Amino acid sequence: MKIVVCFKPIADYARLSQEDWKWDENHRIDTSFVRRIFNCFEESALEIALMLSGTSEHASDLIELTALTVDNQQGDLFLKQLLAVGYHHGVRIQCQKNPDLRFTPMVISHLISAYIQKQGHDLVILGMQGGEGDNGQTGFLVAERLGWPCIGEVSRIIREESSDCLKVTSRMDGATRVQTVKLPLVLIIGDSLDSPYLRVPNLKQKLHAKKKQVTLVSDLELGLYIDPLTNNNLTDNNLTNNDLTNKPIPKADKTLMDLQRPQASQSCVFIEGKNAREQARHLYDQYLKERLPQ
Amino acid sequence: MTLTRTEIVDHLKNILGQERVITDEEVLKENSHDRYKKFETIFNVYSTPIPAAVVKLGNTNQVSEVLKFLNENKINSVARTGGTATEGGLETIIENSVVLDGSPMNQIIKIDPVNMLATAQCGVNLGELEDQLREQGFTTGHSPQSLPLAHMGGLVATRSIGQFSTLYGAIEDMVVGLEAVFPNGEITRIKNVPRRACGPDIRHVIIGNEGALCYITEVTVKIYRYYPENNRYLAWGLDHMETGFEILRKVMVDGYRPSMARLYDVEDGIQHSFDQFAGEKCVLMFLAEGNELIARATAEGIAKIVEPYEECQPLDSKIIENWFSHLNWGPEQIAEERDLIAKNSHIGFTTEISGNWDCINTIYENALNRIQEDFPHIDDLTMLGGHSSHSYQTGTNLYFVYDYDVKDCKPEEEITKYHNPLYAMIVEETLKAGGSMVHHHGIGKYRTQWTQEEHGSAYYILKGLKEQFDPNGIMNAGTIYPLED
Repeated sequence: MKIVVCFKPIADYARLSQEDWKWDENHRIDTSFVRRIFNCFEESALEIALMLSGTSEHASDLIELTALTVDNQQGDLFLKQLLAVGYHHGVRIQCQKNPDLRFTPMVISHLISAYIQKQGHDLVILGMQGGEGDNGQTGFLVAERLGWPCIGEVSRIIREESSDCLKVTSRMDGATRVQTVKLPLVLIIGDSLDSPYLRVPNLKQKLHAKKKQVTLVSDLELGLYIDPLTNNNLTDNNLTNNDLTNKPIPKADKTLMDLQRPQASQSCVFIEGKNAREQARHLYDQYLKERLPQ
Repeated sequence: MTLTRTEIVDHLKNILGQERVITDEEVLKENSHDRYKKFETIFNVYSTPIPAAVVKLGNTNQVSEVLKFLNENKINSVARTGGTATEGGLETIIENSVVLDGSPMNQIIKIDPVNMLATAQCGVNLGELEDQLREQGFTTGHSPQSLPLAHMGGLVATRSIGQFSTLYGAIEDMVVGLEAVFPNGEITRIKNVPRRACGPDIRHVIIGNEGALCYITEVTVKIYRYYPENNRYLAWGLDHMETGFEILRKVMVDGYRPSMARLYDVEDGIQHSFDQFAGEKCVLMFLAEGNELIARATAEGIAKIVEPYEECQPLDSKIIENWFSHLNWGPEQIAEERDLIAKNSHIGFTTEISGNWDCINTIYENALNRIQEDFPHIDDLTMLGGHSSHSYQTGTNLYFVYDYDVKDCKPEEEITKYHNPLYAMIVEETLKAGGSMVHHHGIGKYRTQWTQEEHGSAYYILKGLKEQFDPNGIMNAGTIYPLED
C-alpha cells in the first residue's frame, strides 16, 4: 500500500503578538522571525500513517510512506524529521517563483493530485485545515480531482484483513461513524481529543536521516505553472496547462482584495462577593450550575 | 511514643482547626511528589508514601505551633509553596509526613520605592508580585521559567535563579531580609539593611535550606527600575561551543552585564527551532537592558567583542526576542507536557551544574561523551545537548538537556532506568573536573549521595547546621543531607 501524507509547515501564530499582525502591500504578514511548526491536524495525520505502517506483518502488506509538502527550502527540515521517524520518501513540491498560496486550496489540490497521479498512491491523508488561509478545502478538492471517495473528520485508521480495505473512524453530526472502506481513498484528519502527537526520532535515526535526500519536484515537472506575481488573481494565464499533460486548467475561484482584523467584542461581568468563597459560590450558582451535568 | 496517622491528623486539627488540615486522598497524592516523578504520576502511579495530611498555613504563628508539635513528636515535615520543584525535594519519602503548605500566606506586605524593597509572604506568586511592581515601573529582576507558578518561599528555599541573572544576580543576591521558623518553633527575623559586618551573613543559613533547616515565612527582596523599552537583543550562530564559552568569558571579564547571556549547542538549539534560522549551528545570544546609556553601551561592547570571531554569523535579533518572550512555563505548558507524556511516553529532563571558565568546556564534552559511550539505553534518547544560561566573572553554568522515549518498563521504573543514571553521569563528570553538581535547582533528594563530595572538608559546616537547628531530623528528611539508615 502506498500512502502519501500531505502537510504544511506553518508559522507558530501563537507566538505572534497583536502588533506583529501587520501586512505589506502584497498582503503578506512578516513571520520570518517566528519558528514554523507542523500544522496540528497534519501532525496527527503524519503519526496516524506511521501507526498504520507499524501494523504491517507480512512483506506483501508493506506500506510505503511518503510525506509531501508544497513549500520552499525551509520545508526540508520538516521532511528530514519525517524521514528520521520512518517515512520512506520526503517530497517537496517547489513552485518556481514563490507564489502566495495562502488562499489557494484549488492550486494546492492541483499540485498534490498531479503528483499523486504520477506516483500511483492508494491512500492520501491530509489535515482538515491549517495555516493563514484556514481554507478547509484542500482535501475535498484533491478527492474531486482524483475522483476518489473522501471521508472528513477522521480520527482513527486501522488496517483490515483485506489489504485493499481500511477501517476508518470519523465524526459526523456529533456522532462517531466507523466504516470499512476500499482503497483508493482520501482521508481528512479532523479535530479530536485523541489526536496523537508525532513521534520524536532518536539520536541514531536523526543521524541516519541526515544522509537521506529530499525529493524535489517543481510545478513545471507536474505540468503546472503558477504565476507568482498574480496568483492572488488567478486567471487561465496564471495557471496554465503543460503540453506534456492533458489536465484541465483550473479557474481562479477567489481574489484576495484586502485583509482586515476581525473585531472580537466580548462582554464582561465582574463577579461580586466579600471573599473568594462568596465569589466562587456566585460564579457557580449564576453561571456554571446549569451547564454542569447534575 | 510514635503517633499514629489518625492521631497526627487529630492533633493538627486541634492546632489549626479542621478546615486547615486536608486529608483528601487526591490532595495527599498530589502533595507526595514534585516534578521529579512527573512521569509515573501522569500514569497515576504514586510510588512515594502519601503524607498523613497537608496543612494550609495562614500565618507565622501557625507555622511555629505546627513545627513545635511535629518536632516534639518527631514527625517529618515537607515545606511546600508553589510546588514547581524538580529535584524530589517535595517528595514525602518518610511515612506519615506532614506537608506544610504555605501558599495561603499570599500577601504582598509592602512595596517600598524609597529603599527599593518589596516584602512578601512565602505564598506570594512571583508573577503576581512582578505584575504589581511593573505597574509601578519596577521589577524584582527575578524571572525563572517557573515565574507564572512559583512562590517566593520556594524560590528562596531552593536558591533559585532567573533568566536575567547575569545583571540582577540570583535570589541570594536579591534577598535583603527574611523571616523563618525553626523546628522548635523559634521565629527569627533578619532585618533589612543594605550591608553589615556583624558576623557571618546568617541569611545564607536560610536561603537554599530546602526546608531541611527551617521554614521561610516572609521574604524581602530588592527591586529595580524597569526599562523594557531599552532592551536590545543580540545573537550569533557559531560553530563551536568552546568559542561561545570564550566569548561569554570575555564579556563577563570585560565588565559587561547583559541581563541574559546564553549559549546553546546544536542539539539543544534544534529543540528551540534555532536550526530554522541558523542552520546546524550553536547559538550565542545576549540581552542588554537598563537605562538607555547602559543598554546601548552593553550592546555595543558585546558586539565589539564578538566582531573578530569569523565563525560568528549574526542572527536577526527579532528571532531571539520572539523566542525569549515565550520561554516561561505556565499552566498551559505543563498541561501540554502532560498530554505529550501520556500519549507518547516521551519525556524530557534537565540537569544543571556549574564550573569555572577553565573547566566548563571539559565538563560539557566529557559528560556528553560519557553518556554517548556508557548509557545503556542510548537508543531511546531522542535529544542530548545543553546550554549555558547564567554567567559570572569566574565561570558559567551548564544545563544538560535530555529527552527520551520510555520503553519496556513500568512508569515507576522510568526514574531508575533513565533519569537517575543520566544525571549521575553528569554529576560525576562535573565533580571530577572540579565543578559544582547543582547550579540552581537545589540538591533535592536524589543528588544527596554526592553532597559530601560536593562540599569536601566544608561538609563539616553544613552538617553542623543540621545538628544545631534540626537535631530531631524532622525537617524534610533526605533533602540536602543523605538519609542515614
